[in-house]
Amino acid sequence: MRGDRVTWIYAVERAVKNNVPKVEAILKEHPYLLDLAMKVREGKTEVLRNLDRYVEETIKSVEKSGGRAHLVSNAEEAKEIVSKIVGTGKTIVLGKSMVAYEAGLRKHLEAMGNDVWETDLGEFLIQLADEPPSHIIAPSLHMTKERAEEVMRKIDNELNNSTHEKIAMTARKFLRDKFIKAHVGITGANAVAADTGSVILVENEGNIRMTTVLPEVHIAVAGLEKILPNLQLALYEALVQAAFGGLYPPSYVNVSSGPSSTADIEMKRVSPAHGPREFHLVLLDNGRREAAKDPVLWESLLCVRCGRCHLHCPVYRVFGGKWGVPPYSGPMGAMWSAVVYRDFGPAQLCVHSGGCREVCPMKIDIPKVLEELKKRGLKQ
Amino acid sequence: MKIEGLVREVLVRSLKDYMMPFPTSKKVCTEWATDIPRGGGTVIYTGCMYQLTPLTDLYANALPLLSKVEGAEKLYPLAMAITPSRVHRERAKRILQNVAAALKRSGVQFNYLYEDEPYSGTVLLELGFVEEFAEYAKRVMQHFNRLGVKKLITVDPHSHYAFSRYREFTNFDLEVVSYLQLIRDLGTKVEGEYVVHDSCLYSRFLGLRETYRSLIKAAGASLKDDQLVTGPATSMCCGAPIGPLRKRESEAIASYRAAQLSSLGDKLVVVCPLCYLALSPHFKGKVMDLAELMSFR
Repeated sequence: MRGDRVTWIYAVERAVKNNVPKVEAILKEHPYLLDLAMKVREGKTEVLRNLDRYVEETIKSVEKSGGRAHLVSNAEEAKEIVSKIVGTGKTIVLGKSMVAYEAGLRKHLEAMGNDVWETDLGEFLIQLADEPPSHIIAPSLHMTKERAEEVMRKIDNELNNSTHEKIAMTARKFLRDKFIKAHVGITGANAVAADTGSVILVENEGNIRMTTVLPEVHIAVAGLEKILPNLQLALYEALVQAAFGGLYPPSYVNVSSGPSSTADIEMKRVSPAHGPREFHLVLLDNGRREAAKDPVLWESLLCVRCGRCHLHCPVYRVFGGKWGVPPYSGPMGAMWSAVVYRDFGPAQLCVHSGGCREVCPMKIDIPKVLEELKKRGLKQ
Repeated sequence: MKIEGLVREVLVRSLKDYMMPFPTSKKVCTEWATDIPRGGGTVIYTGCMYQLTPLTDLYANALPLLSKVEGAEKLYPLAMAITPSRVHRERAKRILQNVAAALKRSGVQFNYLYEDEPYSGTVLLELGFVEEFAEYAKRVMQHFNRLGVKKLITVDPHSHYAFSRYREFTNFDLEVVSYLQLIRDLGTKVEGEYVVHDSCLYSRFLGLRETYRSLIKAAGASLKDDQLVTGPATSMCCGAPIGPLRKRESEAIASYRAAQLSSLGDKLVVVCPLCYLALSPHFKGKVMDLAELMSFR
């Protein structure tokens, strides 16, 4: 077996031991999460069947709350609009966003002469190592603790035989300064509420809370499939994502509805207050509208990106992030590689073990979707 | 020709000519049955899976090489002469005879189609040749109708699963039942601790996980389980389904799975001929099919 695969299997086995029993315990302890998951599936299905109408409603709601909404067709348009908002010579902090990765935002903004920093620990490690992410919510899953320490030596060369806590503390020290100096904060979105234009972000590190509040400008980048009919369901999605990802209760759930505001003088709401003076929501299509109309592929848009299917898939357990087109790996990634990149290659490796279907909170029949993608790939 | 194209051509042509996945002597498929009445009605269905599975490795190794050779498809008729080794053939005979004996002990009456038994087409489905599978399913259904088949007793998970999908593509009204659902017991006492590698299809698609596990436990054996290795949602595939097109990746998955199972014990029970083929070279210990634990009487 090749050395990198040995390291990968070592890393993923540790992750499985830490995560799989945890998710099972969470679902047993809080059984209402299964009901929430089914409500989220219904809400997402409703949006996907009427996607144009909900996109329009979302844009109107964002504008109503004092923000700006931008609908973009592809990665190039996303880069263009974000570049216009950001400009050059800025310090930018990023919350973990796989859609931002999909659009190639970080490297684009760096090339434009900005100082850009990932602030999620896993994504920060990925940035330092200049490697693609290997998991949808744990992008540095392929790194063992030992490898993470080696990477982190780029900012602290005295690290040696570190604990997990010590590695996290090193990132904390380095990034605090970036948060304070940042002009722009860019995040993804776990969900977007069509009725209020609110962006929901769930996290544990506190990096997203700082990214959305400290800089003058907050830009959220979201795929169209992240829209839910209302704020209630959008909040449910965040909770479901956290629980099935194995981190429940989440340390923080953030709701951002437009720029910061205050109504403390005569109860008149004015903006800005202490937080951002500008809020932008960039809604990215990039194949999603076409997929929503596809009789089989539409189901992949129900994915809440909890990353649970990865750990229950034999192909991912052996090949890791190399199975799929980054940032989309694993069973969900084999579907999403087709949605976003029109690449049916990853689906060819599916062994139809059914583990993914067994654990998917959205009850997506992933093996069935991948069977269809296999068929289309072979025709190509 | 690309490997996908060559595999498709071999499969489609062989299914058309012989109703088998590759050209082969029917004797290899039928030699296990000596005293089972010939005919339709309720039939034991082998799909020639136990008998021919040992050859899949040979084809998986040869086809990538042949795909690089101009005019390789002309070698197709030569495949008829290829048969599994004597050891493999004897093993397949023993397994199928044990299954038949267990059915008889349980009072089940059945016939066998002998050389008229068609292959189920399962490999087409697994590799993604769904349209070809749909076409073939229609032909198999007509074939069964002609022979008066009403009920299939399957002996492997892949054939069973393939038939469970026939209704999506054809007017399939046969009853399909696994022998595991019909036998009362293994017919003998089994001692010691065993690790079970669950078939993904039986366990997660066909709802039979507890059926075969109960049979083993009822025979007196204990099962060594681990929540993260043999759980209903955590057990991993043996890698075999992608073998014909992705030999290297298939073997990497098999090796990983065998290492997981080896950490639990040195006696492994499988319930599928493909799992046996994939895991045997990598498992540290003895690998047995469930039917090999059964009495032959």
